[in-house]
Amino acid sequence: MGPLVVNEIITENTNLFLAFIIGIGFGFVLESSGFSSSRKLAGVFYGYDTVVLKVFFTAAITGMLGLLFFSLFGWIDLSLVYVNPTFLPSAILGGVIMGLGFIMGGYCPGTSFCGASIGKIDALVFIGGLFLGVLIFGLGYDIWEGIYMAGSMGDPKVSESLGLSDGVFGLLLIVVALAMFRVAEWAETKWPREEY
Amino acid sequence: MTKLKELKKTKYLNPYVGGVLLGLVLLAANFVAGRGLGASGAIKSTVVTGMIAVAPAATENSGFVGEFRDSHGGSPMKTWLVFQMLGVIVGGFISGALAGRLKLKVEHSPGITSRRRLIFALAGGVLFGFGSQLGRGCTSGSALSGMAVLSLGGFVTMMAIFGTAFAFAYVFRKNWI
Amino acid sequence: MKAQNLLALILIPMGLIIAAVPPNTTKPYKLTAGELLAEVNTRSQYVTPETVADMLVNKDPTLRLIDVRSSDEFEKFSLPGAVNIPVADLLSDKYTEILDQGVKMNVFYSNGTIAANEAWMITRQLGYSNNFVLEGGLNYWFDSIMNPQKPDNTSPDEEFAKYDFRKSAGMALGGGAPVQAAVDKTAPSSKPAVKPAQKKKKAAGGC
Repeated sequence: MGPLVVNEIITENTNLFLAFIIGIGFGFVLESSGFSSSRKLAGVFYGYDTVVLKVFFTAAITGMLGLLFFSLFGWIDLSLVYVNPTFLPSAILGGVIMGLGFIMGGYCPGTSFCGASIGKIDALVFIGGLFLGVLIFGLGYDIWEGIYMAGSMGDPKVSESLGLSDGVFGLLLIVVALAMFRVAEWAETKWPREEY
Repeated sequence: MTKLKELKKTKYLNPYVGGVLLGLVLLAANFVAGRGLGASGAIKSTVVTGMIAVAPAATENSGFVGEFRDSHGGSPMKTWLVFQMLGVIVGGFISGALAGRLKLKVEHSPGITSRRRLIFALAGGVLFGFGSQLGRGCTSGSALSGMAVLSLGGFVTMMAIFGTAFAFAYVFRKNWI
Repeated sequence: MKAQNLLALILIPMGLIIAAVPPNTTKPYKLTAGELLAEVNTRSQYVTPETVADMLVNKDPTLRLIDVRSSDEFEKFSLPGAVNIPVADLLSDKYTEILDQGVKMNVFYSNGTIAANEAWMITRQLGYSNNFVLEGGLNYWFDSIMNPQKPDNTSPDEEFAKYDFRKSAGMALGGGAPVQAAVDKTAPSSKPAVKPAQKKKKAAGGC
């Protein structure tokens, strides 16, 4: 059955319309979870507010479990779902640069749009920075194409790389995440901050 | 303290509830379009459009624009992520309006000036924008969506982002606490 | 109850279930039985030996012959340029790219047509296009192309044209008959059109 657009159950234009609807859901949940506030987002790195960690991992696990169960019931063909390709050097280097941007700017791209939508000027400036960053990447593409394209591994699954089945890896991830949530709750009582 | 905590609870969604809801949105995206959520892709589309509009000749041979054309085709603005990001703006606005959080302001720690906050926001944005292109996706597109489909790259990017942010947290502590 | 504990209470059993059950690896069938029957009835999966011979002689790059017999039989004899995909290995992932594509015209062949038809039916059910079956199989290939029978003198002209073509094609492909005419003078039947971009591509992603 799914993915609907790949199996031609819906047309390309319906797909774009649904993208808009899904985006509304995405933005609504991000904002109501508090992701429109950079201080809340940055809180995870100082232990005073771990909402990012909780929302992020709960969402990843819910999405993963949903996909695995949908596949089990035959509702979605996972071989047609996009799996992000892995280029190890650029994934690590890109991640490091993004991490630096995160701790300096206090937002990530999705949350900055959320923040901007409720009037955060710092979020708007961050978005300006995003455009500039992408433009710099685009203009100097020839310079970093080497590292960008290096080390292609296709689109492996982390479960395959570890030699586990998807389900067993999923269970491990759940256990790890729940343990992290315990630590997060503890950290919030250890380094409390007043409301902002 | 307890009073403040209660206030916090009423203000924002419980993070676990928010997480489950976000996971369901992610699942819906995969079910409908066979792909996860994302944000920086929409920025890339806009930048590519801008580059083509400003200097069509120069972009003809640009590897960056070429790679984008190869993977998307058609108008760069008529892509899934562009429409999804328009939805994010609307969704965020609705949520903010319902909770009474619509307010034009520069949010920063009381210890720093607005100016400093904005400079760091811009610098962070530039880094994040650049990194998201190099890493083939940002926190939502690569880390969150990648983790849901168990992509190795998604996990690596996620660990690199959060690991680096943790490692440098001490350096930038003045900005936040 | 604290939300955290409630979450654990829901996620852990779900995790246990998903870890315990084997993953769903079935490939869903895309055509209904009726749709497939309709296609079988039109016999549209067949290509004639003449078409294949013509494409072979002209080195048509879109033709890809797929030998669905066992690898032993393939070793002993195969048509020029054929690849070997035994029916037993048809669903192997390594062949998906060959079978599910929108550029080439795949022609299955076996000694008769049974094995080739089996391969065609399965790939068709999976929703793949551009796969065809060599009419009559290798046996008919030998009778018609490699050792064509001269038609009776009373036969209509078309029969003679066909004979000439077969004979010259057979010769060009290493058969026994002497060359009589230029190979490309008559292409007896048109080849079926390859449907481009029928393949269901993975959704494009990227942030």
